[in-house]
Amino acid sequence: MANVTFPFPFPENLELLLPEIIIALMAMAILLIDLFIPKEKKQISAWLAVASCVVAAAVTMNVTGAGPLTTFYGFFVLDPFASFAKLLMLLATVFGIVLSLDYMQKEANMGEYYCLMLFALLGMMLMVSATNFVTMYLGLELMALSVYVLVGYQRNVLRSSEAALKYFILGSLSSGMLLYGISFLYGVTASFDFAQVGTAIAAGSSDIRTATLVGMIFLLAGMAFKVSIAPFHMWTPDAYEGAPTPVTAFMSVAPKVAGFVILMRVLVDVMPALQHEYTVMFTGMAVLTLAVGNIAAIAQRNIKRMLAYSTVGHVGFVLLGLIAATPDGYAGVLIYMTIYLFMTMGAFAVIILMRRDGIQGELLDDFAGMSRVRPGYALVMGLMMFSLAGIPFLGGFWAKFAVIAAVIDAGHLYLGLIAILFSAVGAFYYIRVVKYIYFDEERVAFNFSENRFIQTAVAVTSIAVVAIGLYPAPVMEMCKSALVGLI
Amino acid sequence: MELHNVLGFPILTLSIFLPLAGAMFIWLFVHDDRLVRWLSLTVSVVTFLVTLPLATRFDNGTSHMQFEEFHPWIETFNINYQLGIDGISMPFIILTSMLTVICVISAWECIQSRVKEYMIAFLILETTLIGVFSALDSMLFYFFWEAMLIPMYLIIGIWGGKNRVYATIKFFLYTLAGSVLMLIALLAMHFKTGGSFSILAMMDYPFDFTWQFWIWIAFFIAFAVKVPMWPVHTWLPDAHTEAPTAGSVILAGILLKMGAYGFLRFSLPIAPDASQYFVPFMVALSLVAIVYISLVAMMQQDMKRLIAYSSIAHMGFVTLGTFMFTQQAVEGAIINMISHGFVAAALFLCVGVMYDRLHTREIADYGGVVNVMPVFAAVMMVFSMANVALPGASSFVGEIMVLVGTFAADPSQLDISAKWIAVAATISVVLSACYTLWMYKRVIMGDITKDSVKTMQDLSLREFSYFVPLILLVLWMGFYPVPVLDVMHESVAHLIEQATTSKLDAAAALVGTSHDLALH
Repeated sequence: MANVTFPFPFPENLELLLPEIIIALMAMAILLIDLFIPKEKKQISAWLAVASCVVAAAVTMNVTGAGPLTTFYGFFVLDPFASFAKLLMLLATVFGIVLSLDYMQKEANMGEYYCLMLFALLGMMLMVSATNFVTMYLGLELMALSVYVLVGYQRNVLRSSEAALKYFILGSLSSGMLLYGISFLYGVTASFDFAQVGTAIAAGSSDIRTATLVGMIFLLAGMAFKVSIAPFHMWTPDAYEGAPTPVTAFMSVAPKVAGFVILMRVLVDVMPALQHEYTVMFTGMAVLTLAVGNIAAIAQRNIKRMLAYSTVGHVGFVLLGLIAATPDGYAGVLIYMTIYLFMTMGAFAVIILMRRDGIQGELLDDFAGMSRVRPGYALVMGLMMFSLAGIPFLGGFWAKFAVIAAVIDAGHLYLGLIAILFSAVGAFYYIRVVKYIYFDEERVAFNFSENRFIQTAVAVTSIAVVAIGLYPAPVMEMCKSALVGLI
Repeated sequence: MELHNVLGFPILTLSIFLPLAGAMFIWLFVHDDRLVRWLSLTVSVVTFLVTLPLATRFDNGTSHMQFEEFHPWIETFNINYQLGIDGISMPFIILTSMLTVICVISAWECIQSRVKEYMIAFLILETTLIGVFSALDSMLFYFFWEAMLIPMYLIIGIWGGKNRVYATIKFFLYTLAGSVLMLIALLAMHFKTGGSFSILAMMDYPFDFTWQFWIWIAFFIAFAVKVPMWPVHTWLPDAHTEAPTAGSVILAGILLKMGAYGFLRFSLPIAPDASQYFVPFMVALSLVAIVYISLVAMMQQDMKRLIAYSSIAHMGFVTLGTFMFTQQAVEGAIINMISHGFVAAALFLCVGVMYDRLHTREIADYGGVVNVMPVFAAVMMVFSMANVALPGASSFVGEIMVLVGTFAADPSQLDISAKWIAVAATISVVLSACYTLWMYKRVIMGDITKDSVKTMQDLSLREFSYFVPLILLVLWMGFYPVPVLDVMHESVAHLIEQATTSKLDAAAALVGTSHDLALH
């Protein structure tokens, strides 16, 4: 923070903030424009939101420099690392909006829905560019508040409201923990800036050690909540099940990307001196997360709950990359999130398209015999399940490969072993979905939604998953070069 | 790096991806079932013809890899698209492409639902199988090895029998759980060897004994499940029984061989000292498979289950021969695998022929089939005799070589003489005669006691057509196995040299010079 005096000088390099500015302005504009759009043409708001994401993505790609650039008196950093995360989140948001088209047509179809998505996106974009705890917290809360509302968007559905309330209460608790941890670190180092806190911790004497550790534990616990690391995952199944399905798709990808990216920044900038301590903490949590995610999912009958636990399992894998704490590990996290984005969005797109007697099917039984009616969707769902299970020639295999390779290289052979054994356990519930789709007889008539845009999303995700599975080199290179700015 | 490829064009790539390309074409453009059948047949026959030059242009005089290809695939991890075959892998590629043709023909009439998906699954399966046998990069190997699970899972699950869902999930989870440990071992070796996934580099790297020990265990779990060896064999009878005929053919003909091939390609040359160390263990398991599983086979009521157990027993011979480290025994093991590929495949086809007519696999539901199906009875006679390893059949060559090779071997790790092992293994020859001929007697011979049997029609020309090449091959290899043996002499000699040369001295010399990845 260089010489912050009043009155503030106009921040230099403000163009770095251009993507965020576009998203913020468009979010507010959509809220207003929506009032003037007749009810049957509400899709225009959705396309405006998509357009703003596309423009923001184009701008993000153009403002990215070779190295880190800061603006807002050093409160905001733009480096390839943040840009890559932003592109991922913009892509996830576009998918989220497209997947919502059908749902919004049947529901109230209000522009505020897309406005909330954009605000959530804005929060995440700020978060990944944070250089200090204040920016991070602002972004995090903007994201969280928007997602709380999105989860409870079906006001007249009890399940949705209940999920939102649960998510909100637990989310507030975790924000409290996060702030509590930050306050400890501030108390010890008298700074919010990541780099300064990191230097102070490294140089700190032994009498501040306890306070530092308490701060670290609370901070990481608060962040673990946001990315569903066990034992802080409890909200995930309820929130996923209760939320409208497109929101579930959105929140199972974008906030996870943002959460892990900022987690990496915090670990690398703030806690290099505490590497041993947080590795111990994460190792236990990773094993627990893998166990919970892969075992509890077996018992689920509702596919959204199942995918919620599946997300927890995947988060366990991503944690391995953080434990490795090497460039390969961090690249592995990005590779995992990229591939995970396509797999999850593809699976949710099929779930959203599938209808039985006009009702969206959510139980595993509802998929019985799908391959006879719609072989194309069945194929995509099958591919996504095999990919999530980590079977080769599909992208999911390389995601697991990257993080496991990194964690073994870092010397944690046993963690790789535990993770891969749990992935074999988890394969059961994924191939069970394939069983319903391909082996079982049709029970009730299907009537699929025929939304062309969602169908396009299905096609794009499945092509991506297969293409990455066959030739993952470009994605791996991209993720590796995106580490500039982090390390 | 110099590539040995006498043909000058990427024939292995063509063999691997031709079936896949055919499958893609059928998936996208063909919608008529009749056309799908003819096209799949064309694709599989063309693939077979494409793989033939691998045999005709094969250089018997070298143990070096041939028809090599090398392209970077994932440079971040130094994973390469590295292909090449030697005398050990070449026969299996030909076997795969041949059995796929037979599978397509055998499914011509009995598969009536979802013909297109069925053919696509088989062609994709062929791609992965040829890929497994030609990969020289261990990640490429693993890639094909695991990808094989997807089409096989669907083949058993969609077109299988009553209990197919249980069988296919069991098959999938068993093999997946087995092979994930191999991935960990490959990754650990990758970092230990300084960043290479090449199988050839791993063969040359001197691992110390602790490393070899754990690598060997990880490989053993992966390959033993696939072979399958007692006690991890329980998925096989279920999978075999429930799979459609062609699924059983591929399963018995090729998939089981992947496990034994894994021992030959990975365990022996990469971890020679551990392989020596585990000889008593492997011998014990093989003998249990040979003797105990033969007894189990005798008690089966279901023909497919019986042949499945017989397969496990025959694979016991293969693992026994593999771990005897003599030229004769290892060659015998490989001959046994190829021969079993013909014989077990043909026996499953025989059961399939009967199943298509009466829709039952129970031995008790048949009897006196010879009266209505004389040609079929003769065909099945040939393969039953081959399964017993009667002289003149290919399996006789394999089994006698394993037995003689075992008899002559002198493994220092064993407390008892290898002669007793050979004697124990010989029991299986008697037992296999018991269960095979007893089944043949109950099913084919005697008077017709069931009315349903009277309605059975003899072999059609189509059915006869796929038995003919198998009969010829079984007899040819039984009478004149020299060409097949010539192909593998050099490669097996090289393998035995690798497997009997200790890496420990070189490993000891390396201590302190390499970057050590701690084993936690």
